[in-house]
Amino acid sequence: MVTLTIAMRSLLRRKVRMVLIGLLVVLGTMLIVIGETFSLSVKQSSKSAIVNYFTGDLIIYSERAKDNPSPFSFTTPLPVVPDPHRIEEWLASHPMVEKHVAIAQNYGLLSIEKQGNKYEVPFIFYAVDPKQYRAAFPNISVEEGRFYDTDGGGPEAGVVLSAFQKENYAKNYSVNVEPGDAVTLLSLSDGGSVNAVPSRLVGIYKPKYYTNVFNYINFLDIKSYARLYNFTGVDASSMPESFNRALASESDDDIFGLAGSFESGLDTKNLVSRELSGYTMIVVKLKNPADATAFTGEITRQNSGVKVATWSEASGFFAYISRIIQAVIYGATFLIFLIVVFILMNTLIISVLERTGEIGTLRAMGAEKSFITAVFLWESFLLNGAAALCGMVVSIVLVATIGGGEGILLPDIIQQYLTGGGGIRLLVTVRPFAEALAIIIIVSLLATIYPIKVATAVTPLKAMTGN
Amino acid sequence: MPEAHVIELSDVRKEYLLGQTRVEALRGVSLTVDKGEFIAIAGPSGSGKSTILNMIGCIDTPTGGRVIINGRDIRGMSDKALTRYRRVTVSFIFQSFNLIPVLDVYENIELPLLLQKISDVKERRQRVMHFIEETGLADRLKNKPGELSGGQRQRVAIARALVTKPVLVLADEPTANLDSATGGRILDLMSEINAREGTTFVFSTHDQKIMEHARRLVRIHDGLISGDEVKGA
Repeated sequence: MVTLTIAMRSLLRRKVRMVLIGLLVVLGTMLIVIGETFSLSVKQSSKSAIVNYFTGDLIIYSERAKDNPSPFSFTTPLPVVPDPHRIEEWLASHPMVEKHVAIAQNYGLLSIEKQGNKYEVPFIFYAVDPKQYRAAFPNISVEEGRFYDTDGGGPEAGVVLSAFQKENYAKNYSVNVEPGDAVTLLSLSDGGSVNAVPSRLVGIYKPKYYTNVFNYINFLDIKSYARLYNFTGVDASSMPESFNRALASESDDDIFGLAGSFESGLDTKNLVSRELSGYTMIVVKLKNPADATAFTGEITRQNSGVKVATWSEASGFFAYISRIIQAVIYGATFLIFLIVVFILMNTLIISVLERTGEIGTLRAMGAEKSFITAVFLWESFLLNGAAALCGMVVSIVLVATIGGGEGILLPDIIQQYLTGGGGIRLLVTVRPFAEALAIIIIVSLLATIYPIKVATAVTPLKAMTGN
Repeated sequence: MPEAHVIELSDVRKEYLLGQTRVEALRGVSLTVDKGEFIAIAGPSGSGKSTILNMIGCIDTPTGGRVIINGRDIRGMSDKALTRYRRVTVSFIFQSFNLIPVLDVYENIELPLLLQKISDVKERRQRVMHFIEETGLADRLKNKPGELSGGQRQRVAIARALVTKPVLVLADEPTANLDSATGGRILDLMSEINAREGTTFVFSTHDQKIMEHARRLVRIHDGLISGDEVKGA
């Protein structure tokens, strides 16, 4: 391997220049390895927090919805899921499903009377079956009161406020609420009509993760919610056939003609009341998340009127943060390696020009162009390979040092956006190292192409004049 | 049947463009060299003697005439074929030694054998050591060229040129960078090898000593051969 020997010793002859380039490559490698490790760790942590505490693996929602469902967004509520109880029964018996919980996401007003004063405060909430929700998502830390009493034939009715919301009420409305306080729930609708449902404050909670979002979310039991937004009605099968036929007709005459049919009044004793839940999404945790794609197909085949979103579709911006970090890292890496390519290329060209006599001599001695190419490729790979190796070793040490234990502690607001909260523990995986290696190989090749072209163009005649 | 000439130059011309000026380095040189000859091509600087060596060594191509090496016209030969010719048939000894600075004495001498892809380590070692002994470099095996004197470097260059047992050795002013005593010893060494191995040597020189040592002296002036004298003839 005389080409390797020549390459290695040629590098050693130009130590200072090569060390400077090497340092750049070390820096670039560290940026890839540490940056990518950070990004992958953020991705893993945020996925774990989002899936385990908010969205599950999949979210079932109405096919009439125009937007993706999101536990993180507070926009106009989605259309209700048709026949959610039947879907829940189906999910409960499905072997792939670990847990599931139905959620109605909405907002309203909370009317509070304290010391003779009446306050109406805004109120964003999840209406859930508390027992089912808590079993699926252990994100609740009860600060005062309780998260519903589920003993004795079903959950109690009422409101659980977030501690942050309680503080805001105190700060902005000078009203201090406590568990046990009587409140009135007021619904808001497009038409301006208002329903009022008496209720009471059951507890105060703090979310464990993604507090920047969940501080604004409060809880309401699903029965109170159904009353508040009129999700109750009459089962169509108990209605007279003529009534159903007229309602199904598009003709105004048929509909107004109903008045004539019921002049003697509707016999209400045969009517069956039906309670609708108003659920806007059903969140599903799978036993094996890898089954998500297969299970998505099965859900839409088995249940009409619904569609399915993945956890990342449902978590919007938060799921993309790690991709944004990754893109920034790739951008910075690209810049560093662009600089490395140009510096290395220039250095190699200078090296070629300094060594035209040597190259000419080799050519005069009968060295093929491939021999000259091999010398310069070795130089590039040895330099970059050694520097990359150093970069990787330093990266492993740094990752183990700063990323172990409690992990990297950043200001809480940043941690909230990155992983939902808590230190960012760095997970060492093969991928960043493989990526660094691939990039180093590409950089080495790119930086060497032109110098090799220059070197192989050196004629043996240069041996006569080159020295 | 008469043996073919090792080299045959027939009306060889070479023109260079030096900026806007056309320079005629060779203006119709015809020359034959036979196996085992020890020839000096002498002439003042710029007379064209190095250009003749370049033509013979296939590191430059003529603009006119024919260069026939071992019976084969080099016109139309591919770069690969010319490279192979330089690797196998011919060796160079340069005025500035042209050793590879990062390789030590042993490695420099071994290099042409590696280029010839001689994989037998033992054979390579035998051949390298033979010429190291021959050139008196045994105590300098691990030295880099930068650690050697001019005479020692030129001896390494000679050993490197001979280790492949070439048909032809082209030496471009091999003593120009050496003092007179060292130059004399180098010349004696090449003369001995020529006598013992039958290797053909062609020198370009304006060193009087080489001209005296040479058994044939070709004089060149302004790109034309002005004299061709075989000594003792």
